[in-house]
Amino acid sequence: MQNLPLTRREFIRGAGGLGFLAFSGVAPAFLARSAMAQTPAPERDRSILVIIQLAGGNDGLNTVIPFTDDRYYNLRPTLGLKNGLLHLNDDLALHPSCKDLHKLYNDGKISIVQNVGYPNPNRSHFRSTEIWETASDADTFQREGWLGRYFDNDCAGNPEADNINADPTAIHVGDMIPQSYLSEKSHSLFGMKHRGRFDRGNDPADLAYEKLLQADHIEGNASYLQHTMMNTLVTERRVEKIIANYKALSSYPGTKLAQSLKRVAALIHADMETRVYFVSQSGYDTHANQLRNQARLLSELSTAMSAFQKDLNAHKKDDQVLTMTFSEFGRRPAENGSGGTDHGTAAPLFVMGSKVNGGLLGKSPELVSDVKKDLEYSTDFRGVYSSVLDKWLEADSSNILGKQFEPVPFV
Amino acid sequence: MSQSSPTPQNFAIEDAWKPLPGGFWRIEEAQHFLRRVGFSASPEAVTSALRGSPKAYLQQAFRPDSGMQRSDALKEFTANIHQRYQHIYREVEDEEEKRKLRQEIQREENELFRGFAMDWFYYARQPQQSAREKFVVFLQDIFVVEQNKVRDTELLFSLQQTLREGTTNSYPELCKKISREPAMVRYLDLLQNTARKPNENFARELFELFTLGEGNYTETDIKEAARAFTGYRIKKRREFYQEQRLHDDSKKTIFGETGKWNGDDVVDITFRQPAAKTFLIRELIKFYLTEEVVPEPYIQALGEQWAEHNFSLSYLIETFFQSRLFFHPAYRGNMVKSPLHFYIGLCQDLRIDIAPFEARVLRSMATMGQSFYNPPNVRGWLYGEHWINSTTISARRQLVDYIFAKLDEENLNANEQRDLEAAREAGRGNFLVTQERLQQVLSLAADDLATHLTTYFITAPSRATYRNALQSILGNTQDEGAAKRVRYAIIALLQSPAYNLC
Repeated sequence: MQNLPLTRREFIRGAGGLGFLAFSGVAPAFLARSAMAQTPAPERDRSILVIIQLAGGNDGLNTVIPFTDDRYYNLRPTLGLKNGLLHLNDDLALHPSCKDLHKLYNDGKISIVQNVGYPNPNRSHFRSTEIWETASDADTFQREGWLGRYFDNDCAGNPEADNINADPTAIHVGDMIPQSYLSEKSHSLFGMKHRGRFDRGNDPADLAYEKLLQADHIEGNASYLQHTMMNTLVTERRVEKIIANYKALSSYPGTKLAQSLKRVAALIHADMETRVYFVSQSGYDTHANQLRNQARLLSELSTAMSAFQKDLNAHKKDDQVLTMTFSEFGRRPAENGSGGTDHGTAAPLFVMGSKVNGGLLGKSPELVSDVKKDLEYSTDFRGVYSSVLDKWLEADSSNILGKQFEPVPFV
Repeated sequence: MSQSSPTPQNFAIEDAWKPLPGGFWRIEEAQHFLRRVGFSASPEAVTSALRGSPKAYLQQAFRPDSGMQRSDALKEFTANIHQRYQHIYREVEDEEEKRKLRQEIQREENELFRGFAMDWFYYARQPQQSAREKFVVFLQDIFVVEQNKVRDTELLFSLQQTLREGTTNSYPELCKKISREPAMVRYLDLLQNTARKPNENFARELFELFTLGEGNYTETDIKEAARAFTGYRIKKRREFYQEQRLHDDSKKTIFGETGKWNGDDVVDITFRQPAAKTFLIRELIKFYLTEEVVPEPYIQALGEQWAEHNFSLSYLIETFFQSRLFFHPAYRGNMVKSPLHFYIGLCQDLRIDIAPFEARVLRSMATMGQSFYNPPNVRGWLYGEHWINSTTISARRQLVDYIFAKLDEENLNANEQRDLEAAREAGRGNFLVTQERLQQVLSLAADDLATHLTTYFITAPSRATYRNALQSILGNTQDEGAAKRVRYAIIALLQSPAYNLC
């Protein structure tokens, strides 16, 4: 299928693809309504949140480097960074790979929140990711994600699940729905791949799926399943079309992260009603060979974020978008014996956008010479969330997070 | 659902629960049976089942055995935990140090739980265990506890093991045993239930969720029953005992019977109520047969038989799963697979292992809506179409995509690399479908392959239309590019509405 049918007649006449659905077992009313419904006028001024997950636990001390602190170099005889540091102030510098981020920092388009963590930190990837994504205390368990609770509270959801023209509430890139999105009510969530061809009407994988989806299901659960799958497929087609036709106004590197963000930019440019996007970059679990690996990862992060921001600027969408990173934990202050670092606690995170206040926020971590000691967080990550919710998404953070956290003034 | 549902007019009540006549035990029936009793109906399983009878299959599947084994890590943790806590509370003075030690225990506890979850998936994935494990899941959805609240792997394991062994017990006996399971004692606040301050939580759920159902008891029955369950205690974090000082030994009147009842007496009295004869059967029907309303006379009839057999679960299992009603064509092919069923069934259908990455498996289960041992609330999961919404459907599709994708070994974190190595050593490294494996089916012509795939993977109602669609997707299987098309065709089939049903 080359184009989405725009009218009911086109829908029915369509020679292949979804056109045939008009004659299949799916309730005709659903088709007629979906095909005739006007695309709702997008609300142009909606604020949008983009989350970048740095999976594996990014080493904070080699991201924002306390280069005047001898203890840093004592704890890290081989990993301590000295050359090419990108100064943020008299004591702190960004990793040499973060040139683009450094420029954004100097332009006031990035706030760096220092030493973000939570009480009684957990060092398991699984559990600590869960804590970050559900915004729970270290010793309480919650299924719903912090953004899922935001959807429950503040997004109308998909009361009319039949309306296939409704945009997804949230979109993620990757093969798994982030736990941050899990909610009590049902919302339309959509996942996309970070790359792939887009003349997908001819992609045999999708043609195959589409073909089977058109099989006759007269009644019962099969028809209900088919219906739900159709809705998702229609969204998929629309998203693909938007992405395929998108002209980026900055040059994105070929990395997975950059390509993911390019797709997000395309959807934002198309005025989708989607409020939240989630992309992920993995590989930060640097138990060994950290110097090389983290340099590559941070370089990918820096160039991707910068290309994304430039693109938004050029499309005049920058006022609408806030981009934020997070990682499940930082790493130990002392290096290990394999040229790496083990799981730790607090770490800095980046918040990017035209509307951010810029600068370094929160207190720097306090290093101690004891190699066994870990960093004590100074900013609770839920304070970061509360600012995002209250100030950016205009929601009620205490309602969503269960209590009030000290906000972080990046917006 | 080509055939209309049975009614006492067209399908005699006295025949409904008789075993399926031998002549009707055919491929279709065996597939229905295997997918409903377990998770998958592979051609080998069908052939093997057809050599015997449903009865023989059930006897084998529910044979008494030692069940699932605790991991060494869990045994060791459990052996020491009481001492470790004693150490913390009696010997450590520094508050900060106490906190750290408790936190360390909690961390180990979480790790053990995830290990237990994975062990269970591996265990239930073995075809010879599947039927009973599915029944355990059924019972877990009756005797609900949430890991989030209990947070003790040993107790959760123990409860599950009791349910597993309970399949050879009578249902009242199982109820009594469950009332003594520390996980349940904690979950439904029996610890807070004392003669001076009764707590009704357990008594209410005993009536409402375990035995009778709403509307079949009064608030007074609950209040009186709660007093009978007073004094249930746990010592050394693990061991159940009854504390006479906390027990209310006075007279209670429950369902009109007056006496100095204790908890076990309440269970016995409960099973003299008419509603107890049919409650579990209704649940069984919902879980295994249909979301439709099954005419009441059928349910009453089985209820009477079951009561006559002293509520024996083996009797119920054998009667229900080989009955003519269970095999009625109206009840075939229209049940939405639960996420557990979907994943384990997928692994069995494709003859692959459970992926060795706990974060992936457990989160994928959560996204599909069925987080291991963590139902949304005391009522358990709502089955059927409740599993399906845009999020869970995407999660199911993504799971299939993952199984057919290449493993991105570069980007695994250290834990995952370790788990991958361990799985390969244990012979469980085959958890994705490789292109080489798909190559093997190319010896078949497209029409034969389409027939094979639809017979293998989906139920009868959708076969004809799917077969044609698949055949056209497959094209010439000797062509260049055929291997790819086979892959797409199978992925599409596994993501289709029909594959989500059984």
